[in-house]
Formats: sequence, C-alpha cells, structure tokens
Amino acid sequence: MVFSKINGNLHHREKQLVESLRHSPRSSNPFLITERQDEKQLCISSRSLHVNDFALVKTLGTGTFARVWLARLKDQKDKDKVYALKILRKADVIKLKQVEHVRNERKALAAVVDHPFITTLIASFSDEKCLYMLLDYCPGGEIFTYLRRQRRFSEEVSTFYAAEITMTIEFLHDVHGVAYRDLKPENILLDADGHLKLVDFGFAKQVDNRETYTLCGTPEYLAPEVIQNSGHGLAVDWWALGILIYEFLIGQPPFWDQNPMRIYEQIIEGRLRFPPNMPAAAQNIVSLLCKTNPTERLGHISGGSTRVKSHPFFQDVIWDDLFYRRVKGPIIPRLSHPADTGNFEEYPDPPDLRNTNIYTEDLKKKYEPLFSDF
Amino acid sequence: MAQNSAPDSTPVINTRAGDKSAGTPKITEDDEFEVTSPTNLTFRQSNSGAVPPGTALFGGSAFTEGGSQTGGSLFSRSPFQDPEGEEDEQEGELAPLPGLSAEQGLPTNYALGRRTSVSAESLNPTEAGSDSWSPPHHPKTEEQVSRLKSAVSSNFLFSHLDDDQSMTVLNALVEKPIPAKDIKVISQGDAGDYFYIVEKGNFDVYIHPSGAVQPGPDGLGNKVASIGPGGSFGELALMYNAPRAATVISTEPKSTLWALDRITFRRILMDSAFQRRRMYEAFLEEVPLLSSLKPYERSKIADALDTIKYTANSTIIHEGDPGDAFYLLESGEAEATKNGVSGPVKNYRRGDYFGELALLDDKPRQASITTKTDVKVARLGRDGFKRLLGPVEGMMRGAEYELDSKRSPVSKAA
Repeated sequence: MVFSKINGNLHHREKQLVESLRHSPRSSNPFLITERQDEKQLCISSRSLHVNDFALVKTLGTGTFARVWLARLKDQKDKDKVYALKILRKADVIKLKQVEHVRNERKALAAVVDHPFITTLIASFSDEKCLYMLLDYCPGGEIFTYLRRQRRFSEEVSTFYAAEITMTIEFLHDVHGVAYRDLKPENILLDADGHLKLVDFGFAKQVDNRETYTLCGTPEYLAPEVIQNSGHGLAVDWWALGILIYEFLIGQPPFWDQNPMRIYEQIIEGRLRFPPNMPAAAQNIVSLLCKTNPTERLGHISGGSTRVKSHPFFQDVIWDDLFYRRVKGPIIPRLSHPADTGNFEEYPDPPDLRNTNIYTEDLKKKYEPLFSDF
Repeated sequence: MAQNSAPDSTPVINTRAGDKSAGTPKITEDDEFEVTSPTNLTFRQSNSGAVPPGTALFGGSAFTEGGSQTGGSLFSRSPFQDPEGEEDEQEGELAPLPGLSAEQGLPTNYALGRRTSVSAESLNPTEAGSDSWSPPHHPKTEEQVSRLKSAVSSNFLFSHLDDDQSMTVLNALVEKPIPAKDIKVISQGDAGDYFYIVEKGNFDVYIHPSGAVQPGPDGLGNKVASIGPGGSFGELALMYNAPRAATVISTEPKSTLWALDRITFRRILMDSAFQRRRMYEAFLEEVPLLSSLKPYERSKIADALDTIKYTANSTIIHEGDPGDAFYLLESGEAEATKNGVSGPVKNYRRGDYFGELALLDDKPRQASITTKTDVKVARLGRDGFKRLLGPVEGMMRGAEYELDSKRSPVSKAA
C-alpha cells in the first residue's frame, strides 16, 4: 500500500476510472455492476489512489473519527467534477471500537452500489494512518436541514420522502439482507433533482434473517429490541421509518426527553401520542411501524415491504415514477453550480492531530489485516 | 453529512442547542447548559436535592455532537433565516409547535440540533456448548440480594428481565469498597463503563456547567444531589459508552458500592436471548406440522413465542374449548387427559408440544392438558402465526400432515 511502489499505469487507469464515473448521473460504471463480485471488490478497492491525488476543498461533515471532504482530483480541469471523500483515522477507529462497523460499512456500500437512493461508493483506499472512501457528492445537503428550517413537512412532502426511503429499505433488506440501523434525517441527503440519497453506512450490516446484538443507532430512533439487547434484525429499520415519518410530519420524534435514559424508557413502554391534527393514515402507519414487538411490526410481518407500500398512507404514490426518477422531488436545492457546498453546514478546521491517538506499531500489527479490504 | 461517532471522551454538552442558536451563534455557556443538561428534569423534580432510594440518577450522558465543537452551527446559507419566509423562527427562540401541548405529553422544548449516533462494543453470542464465557458470579447474602432487587426494581433496564436473567445480573454485581472520603467514583466527562448501586454510605453529586471536571478548587461544579443506600447512578453506561454527566464523590470514610459493567450486563442479556432462540428453533424443528417451513420462517416463529408459567396442577388447555394456540413445553411436566378415559392419555416433557392443529383451525380441543410440576411453556397463537407468516394452510406447502392421535391427542381433528 505504499504509494511510491505503485505501478504508474495502474494509478493512471484508476484515476481515469474515477473520472469517468462522473459522466453518468447514476453510478452506471460497467466495472462495478457487471463484473463478478470478487472482481468488483478488487476494482474499487484501489491500490494506487492516494489522498495526495485529491485537493480537499471543504469539510462537508464531521464525526468523532471521520471527516467528509468535498474533494477534487488535482489534475482535473473541470471544477464541477467533485466527490465526497470520507477520511477515517485508523487509530481513532480502533480506540472507539468501531473497527467492525467500519468494515461493515465498506462491505455494505460496495454490495448495494447502484441504487437510485443510495450514495455510491466509487473507490476505497488507505495509507499508513487513514482509511478513505470516495463517494459521489450529493449537493443538496441533509434533509435534516430542510426539515428544521420548515419545522414540519406537509403530508405530501413527507409521503414522497417516506416512499423513497421505503423503497431503499426494501432494496437493502430483500436484495441484500442488509439492516441499515441508523435511519434519521441527518443521514438522508438531497440530490440536485430533489431525490434522496441515503448516506453513512457506518452501522449497516448484512444480517439476512438472523439476529444481531450490538447496540447502535441514534437515541431517538433506537428500536426497543436494540435497547433490551434481546437480538435485533431487519425489523429495526421499519421501526425507524415510523419514527422518521412522525418526525417529518410533526417536527420532532415521538419519544424524547433531555435525559436519554428517559427516552429509552418511553421507547420500551411504546406509548405513541399523536397530535389530533395528524392525518389518520399517517397515525395508522406510524403505529403499525412502531410496534414494540417486532413480530407485530408492519414490514416484518407477512407481506413484508409490499404491505408497507400498499398502506393507505402511500395511496397516491406511483412507485415506478419515483424509482425511475420520472418526477422531481418536492424540494429542489438551490445550487449555483454542481460543486456548490452552500447547502451544507460550515465546520471548523480539523483539529491539530499531533497529540491525538497514534496508530502505533502494536496497533498496526494487530489491526492492519482487518483494514485490508480498503 | 453525519458521521457515526461513538460518544467522544471529550464532552460537549452544549450542542443540542446548536441549531436553535443558528443565526445568533453567540450563546452563553449557561444557556447551553440549560438547554441540554440531560439531568435537568431529574434534579429539578427533587426539591431538596436529596434523591429517594431506588432512584437511578442520570445515566451520565452528555450528548456529544462529534465535531461541531462550537455548538452554533454556522450555515453558509443560513437556512434558519430563509428570506422566503419562516419569519416566526428568526428569533432563535422556537414557539411551541401547533397541535403540540404539554397535556398531550409531547415535550415542547425539543432540542432541534443534529443528533449523534451511539454505539456499544460489538458483541457476538457464545455458541451453545462453547464455554468461552460465563457470567461472573459474586456470592451475596439473601438480604443483600433482596436489597439489590429493590434498588433496581424501578429501573426499566432491569424490570423487564425474566427471573433467570435477573438472578444472573444480580449475581454479577461486584462489591466495590470505597475506603475513604472524597474519592471520585465517577468524574464528569469521563468515559462511562460501570453502573453503581449504593450499599453503604452517602455520595454527593456535582455538575460542572462546562461538561467536565475542571482543575482548581471549584472544579467539581455545583452539588446537585446526594445518594444514599439503595440509590444508584451511572445507568447510561449499561447502554453504551457516553461521557459521565456528573461527578459522584464519597462523603464518608468507609462506603460500599455494587458495580456492574456494560459488557457483562449486555452479554448476559444477549446470551440468554440467543440460547432461548436456538432452543425454540430446535423444538420447532421437531414439530411435523412446521417441518415444511423454511429455517428463517421457523426462526421468525421462535421470536413470536410468548413464555408463560404455570404452577403444578394447573390446566393449560380445557377439553372442548376452541383451539387458538400451540404450545411448546420448555420445562416441567404435564399430562393429557380425556373425559371418559381413566388416567392420562399422554405425558409431556421438555421439548414436547401440543395443540399444534389449532394453528389450522379452531376445532374443539380433544383433551385437557394439566401440569404435574411447575411448568414453563412457549405459546404461539394462531393469529400471531398468521400475522407473521400468512395463512397457515398456505405455509404447509401441500405437505400432508399425518394426524397421529397417539402423538397429539389434544389436536386430533373431530
């Protein structure tokens, strides 16, 4: 993985591949889709790309151990060709015990490539200290920003977004057996046409029909079975969809308290309260999705996602029109050019990292093989 | 773009105020603290600052917003001052949402900031038969156990446990002597791994508005409560590692705590859930009526089973009643009897099942089932089955189900 040893031709070819991806609006790179699974992995796990190939333009988002940059290939003349480059520091990933999650994230993103409402992983690579995921740039910013700005979404807008998320969950569950596990407005971006892109697959995991136990998610959106550690599966995403629909329509999630333990207590209790002006169909779908017992939960019970899609809440939705993007979204982001970052928050500069966690030789010996997928 | 981030060890209490303050990014520390202290409610409710025994104080959670250290989210396009409207939101102070009120139980002071993801250590169940992990067992007197039981009885994390889980958890609590006064058991802002119950002594609770203990004489902040025997603190640490929301300090020369760490607690819950699922799946595999189901369908059914306990000499099924549920015998013994037949027509032991034809229709039960000992059964109602997997008849996939009156006298079709 040392840059200087890399064959220059390969480097050139991979950069071209990355560039070519931007020509098509969807990730229809033939390499990624038609090749056999193992070759596809090989293809996007780049051995030659290097962070120095990119100019890091501006921070789009930050986390405790990751930062996402608007990035541009340095020798790219067209200033509109930009990417989102997610950078994770290995030492921080290890310290926060997120190694497994980071591996799951790369695996899940590589597997689910080419869905209209999921962010595209173009390539991943790594160097001595960091892991990198090169993603398509989604210029509309977070749906969270629009929701908080408008306070609440109308029934029409809520239904549109809920429908796109429903199709995304359906795809993740039925095609890949992947539980997403961190649905919330902060993780849903708008593209230039006002359609959704689900980003941040940090907790996504292929669980198929088995159960898994690691607690993860966002407090207000945790399903009761996650809190109680009784084993959880795909059904957690249907629970979170119920919370999401509620938050779209009401402006805040149904279970909330300043003390997170009280949030969890309310979730376990599972008593939903609806404002009287909330449409009946919406109240109904939320109460069916937010069944405390996962075996009674819409989406998980007989009929699966088909039952969700045929619920009266979605009666005006023409599903194919959304999937094939024949209609525009209800909110079209204001963009002056394709690389405009005005819809994202401003983030302070990266902190001085000299005194933070060091990726020591010991850590390297122990963990480096686990990062070999990148 | 949100990044998943386990709560940082650097506490940033202020950030739930973030979006509220957008547009007017200068907010004082006090304001930030007021908005977001996770302990506000708890402490405001207790007038004197004394906390009744059994009240688990704060879980130790400062919500951290990874990265957005300033609290004020600065938008380059200031979305909260959109020139096209929303004038009512320009003050930074949010009016209550229409349709929401306290009487409906919806909080009107919802913090509108971006929310950080949380995550606990990755856990994988101990496979049956492998003895790589067993929960720690620290012996306690009966009196101690009953005191501990009542100390956690009001805590929802414990009150939902079954008897076995509850016992295992109580056994895992380890005694932690606090040998002197002024020992900081937990420090605000530190990583949280343990939950504590007070056995003996009194502890004071301090909160510093900055979100962490500061150097200097007033570094602990303000005393907000004290906790005596039977009280507990640090419960959020049983969920995931979040920075402690307060400092807890001993006030007597000799005190005693009981401690439980997150990994032990969550492992106990996980292992018992995992083993129960596998046991149910194995039982279900033996039921001919369900043999044509796919393994994942059986595993779904295993999820939907309700555990019910009966004491000895209780009747689980009455002959002649319409059948509505299927039962697996999880532990204990039971027998089937029929009117007009002397003596039991069949005996049931662990792993046996009865009433499975009730999944097909509600024909009257052909026998009664009575418990001979204390019994635990797993019950699956026909409605639950249908809801989960669709009409039962369709699930059988044409497989002929042999009616075996000897095997299953209860369900024999009339």
